[in-house]
Amino acid sequence: MPLLEIKNLTKKYNADTLALSDVNLTINEGEFVSVIGPSGAGKSTLLRCINRMIEASSGYILFDGVNVSTLSKNELRNLRTKIGMIFQHYNLVDRLSVIENILHGRLGYKNTFEGIFGIYNEEEKKSAFKIIEILGLKEQVYKRCDQLSGGQKQRVGIGRALIQKPRLMLCDEPIASLDPNASKIIMDHLRNISSKMGITCLVNLHQVNVALKYSDRIIGINSSKVVFDGAPSEMTSDIVYSIYGSEAEELDIDIGGRNAS
Amino acid sequence: MQMEETLNTAWEEPSNDISNDERPMSIRKISKASIVMNATLLFLAIVSIYAFFTFDYKNVNLIEAFSSTFYNLKIVFLEPHLKHFSVHETIWQLIVTLGLTVLTTLIGSVIALFFGLFAAQNLSTKLASNIIKAVVAFIRAVPTVLWVLIFAVAAGLGSVAAVIGITFHTIGYLIKAFSESFEELDKGVIEALKGSGANWWQIVFQAVIPSCASYLISWTFLRFEINFTYAILMGAAAGAGGIGFDLYMAGGHYFDLREVGFITYIILAVALVLEVISTRMKVKLSGFD
Repeated sequence: MPLLEIKNLTKKYNADTLALSDVNLTINEGEFVSVIGPSGAGKSTLLRCINRMIEASSGYILFDGVNVSTLSKNELRNLRTKIGMIFQHYNLVDRLSVIENILHGRLGYKNTFEGIFGIYNEEEKKSAFKIIEILGLKEQVYKRCDQLSGGQKQRVGIGRALIQKPRLMLCDEPIASLDPNASKIIMDHLRNISSKMGITCLVNLHQVNVALKYSDRIIGINSSKVVFDGAPSEMTSDIVYSIYGSEAEELDIDIGGRNAS
Repeated sequence: MQMEETLNTAWEEPSNDISNDERPMSIRKISKASIVMNATLLFLAIVSIYAFFTFDYKNVNLIEAFSSTFYNLKIVFLEPHLKHFSVHETIWQLIVTLGLTVLTTLIGSVIALFFGLFAAQNLSTKLASNIIKAVVAFIRAVPTVLWVLIFAVAAGLGSVAAVIGITFHTIGYLIKAFSESFEELDKGVIEALKGSGANWWQIVFQAVIPSCASYLISWTFLRFEINFTYAILMGAAAGAGGIGFDLYMAGGHYFDLREVGFITYIILAVALVLEVISTRMKVKLSGFD
């Protein structure tokens, strides 16, 4: 059974701006899926519709057999605990330490009182430390997040999502603000999350070559429509051209030795 | 002349209305605003000069007046002493004034924190935010002294009216300051926690307040300093007691300038200490610890 089914998803911001039109997708458990497309194509909107940070205009989303769009406030909160999210700008609380930021991922499981005062049980703290170790942040545990580098911040972001014990990770341009070295570390971690922990990853990317290297499947979006959905091996320069339009000529994208231009 | 030629050829169409004008060139553009501004300044200058010629000086000798003012200032600041109050008593009154300050700031800041959350547009609904902001604008528009006098109608002149009145204005002031700090918060942080299933109160206490803590504290401390001034003032104006009342008695009843000087020095010392504390706090909060 697929983990995520998107049917006829449409999002209009207003009468003129159509962010998504009639998107249909099925994503299976454990898949690593990249979403590529030019800026403003609707990639971020697609991701945010899944956990209802943005309300879709029409169509529906089934997550693990549950219709997301009809959930009540509490059920939605419950759903969001199962979906981790990481961001281009990390979105950490800079003034708090690494461990505090990672434990924020548990807030969705807590009642209001425990959440307000940040009361976490031993098990949660232990798993936080384990995640920190996996992500290689052991020396930064008690450091404030504004003292970390971009790559380290993004790893904290991944940690915060992982501690939710999610079934799906939504990654909104995770490496768009990072240097190539840090980008590789982050993508390797995401790949491991998918292949070793079996967590499904849906990653928005700007870099076609990164998408080709890491994903099981690539979805291309152009002006609010899905124009490609297939394995990286099926990707050709014509398809890149259809995704990026005339911009592709300047992209000079390397597809397994061939140039897209 | 060569330059002019090159300029002319470069732009093809020489702007003869500017470069060929015989009048001296002005680097400032004359606009309506600058005309109004200059006219106003000229008018004020004329009125001032006229006033100095037509003042009713009675029989005041200007030199004598200046010298006796300096004489009084000399007495106040160079010969301070205590006569009607003991040192012990003065310090106690100082503590009373500080007590008023702490009480008003503490109650005010706690209440303002909660209303500030609902007044911030990124954390609240537009309606609630606008209502609170409108009420708060009204509270701030009325001066603190007036609030104390208004509450004195119900509570009688004294420390109760002073505390309520100063607190009231403190709330108004801090709600504005706090809510604007909250509004500056990066909305991504809120989005991230919301996306992981955290609820509103959890987001507020785990992300919003920690992120804004340094602003909140520095605003509160600024208000603490303001409230210290008001607490002194209210001691005299509203009979709230404390060092302000002593100052009023020394100056207005005993006409003892030396005692006024002593009390002024004490107040100055406290103000200096507060300044030092706030500066250190800001450094500590904004820097890395």
